[in-house]
Amino acid sequence: MGGIWLSVLLLVPVGAGAAYWLARRRQQNLALLRRRLVAVTQSVRQTGDNIAHDLRTPLTRLRADVEAALRQEDGKVHRAALERVLDEIQGMQNIINALLALGQAEAGGMQVKKKTVDLTGLLMEMIELYAPSAEERQLTLKGRIEPNLTIEADRQLLARILSNLLDNELKYVPAGGLIMLSAAAKGDKLEILVEDNGPGIPVDMRDKIFERFARLDPSRTVSSGAGLGLSLVRAFARVLQGDARVAESSLGGAAFIVTLSTSAADVSRPAP
Amino acid sequence: MMKLLIIEDDVAAAASLKRGLEESGYAVELAHDGECGLQQARDGDHDLWVIDVMLPKRDGLALLKVLRDEGRRAPALILSALGKVDDRVNGLRAGGDDYVVKPYAFVELLARIEALLRRARSLSGGPETVLQLADLKMDLLGRAVTRAGQEIDLQPREFDLLEYLMRHAGQVVTRTMLLENVWEYFFDPQTNVVDVHISRLRQKIDKSFSPPLLHTVRGTGYILRMEP
Ligand SMILES: Nc1ncnc2c1ncn2[C@@H]1O[C@H](COP(=O)(O)OP(=O)(O)OP(=O)(O)O)[C@@H](O)[C@H]1O
Ligand SMILES: [Mg+2]
Repeated sequence: MGGIWLSVLLLVPVGAGAAYWLARRRQQNLALLRRRLVAVTQSVRQTGDNIAHDLRTPLTRLRADVEAALRQEDGKVHRAALERVLDEIQGMQNIINALLALGQAEAGGMQVKKKTVDLTGLLMEMIELYAPSAEERQLTLKGRIEPNLTIEADRQLLARILSNLLDNELKYVPAGGLIMLSAAAKGDKLEILVEDNGPGIPVDMRDKIFERFARLDPSRTVSSGAGLGLSLVRAFARVLQGDARVAESSLGGAAFIVTLSTSAADVSRPAP
Repeated sequence: MMKLLIIEDDVAAAASLKRGLEESGYAVELAHDGECGLQQARDGDHDLWVIDVMLPKRDGLALLKVLRDEGRRAPALILSALGKVDDRVNGLRAGGDDYVVKPYAFVELLARIEALLRRARSLSGGPETVLQLADLKMDLLGRAVTRAGQEIDLQPREFDLLEYLMRHAGQVVTRTMLLENVWEYFFDPQTNVVDVHISRLRQKIDKSFSPPLLHTVRGTGYILRMEP
């Protein structure tokens, strides 16, 4: 009898504690959920705004082009117009795809295939992939990569980060320039550096340049690019629990720095 | 004639796809929802299925899984409008053999269909150790390449690139197919990286020989064959 009461007496506070703890957990979960929802809505809204706004430029060009072609009878003119239309459509597709990927990455909706990636190997591969194109533009692409770097991450995401940075190097570093890709372990972090001796990024633009649609040269033509590459670089780096920024390179141009933790990308575990 | 089944609920898109494939010499059957698609796939004797992921009545991946569970082996090409990073993996896991994101270029789809049909045909034979086209020979075991008996020195990646082209000789391969199969990157870089690798390979295998074997197909990709 007394034994039961004793355990009840003991259990009540334990039970109350557990109930309180559960309620708190639920509240925390709810708060987390709400934060996620806000992030998602914001990102969706932003994506929506951007799509509406930034597809209007190519759409305007498209429309003008098609209307002008329709005023003519010449089959050759029509064909040329259709080819430009296809180019514009491709450009619009690229913008939409980039915005969708950004939205997904920023709202935490990107599933990451975590595996042990041979980062040294991947960086060498990227150099091998880009070196001929660099050479064709009279650029030198060099690597200074620490051996045996590995990381728990998604190979495709890492490659997309590097590819966006190298695409920029090939676009913005003038002929004769030098591009250096380096990587090293820094404590429990990995630092990947893509730098050059090109024009660099002015100090007051170094944060801005990572925003969607931000470009140093604000004009946007079919071939120039949309200003989404660096936004993707930063968003993907953050999906991998890292970050990206730009500084001045000792080579004289821009230095894009991607920092990742060696066991990056555990997105399923909420941050403490 | 090869017979294809397209399961796609967008009627207009399905119709133009059908027209394009018929012009390329295929017999094409259409289904506009998952249930009809499943029935037609079971009843017909198709060489390949093109399956949209989002379908009314039964989604494309579930449908494909049923067909695979029933032991049906036709190659399946998945179409998806989602294009998320993990979609491709899910598509392949459900039994798909290749995966294309909408909106796709028709030539991209056509090239992939031809690659799948060809793979299905060649699966019956054992693994090859030597590939040959005209006087160009590849020894896959010794990793040696000769043209007209002359040894050609290729970088490892150039070797893989040539091997893929040889395995698809006579057939258009797109840049995206090369990036996926030779480099295993499932995205398209902005820079024309593939073109430059191709022109280096061309220097080595074609420059001092004739006829040229590696041709550019404007707006699409490349083809390795004897005829210009
Ligand atoms: N290595 C670099 N040197 C100098 N300027 C650069 C470099 N990389 C990027 N920039 C500047 O930063 C801007 C933003 O780059 P980002 O990659 O985001 O967009 P983009 O290259 O213009 O277009 P997109 O990548 O969408 O095709 C570029 O327009 C360019 O002005
Ligand atoms: Mg860019």
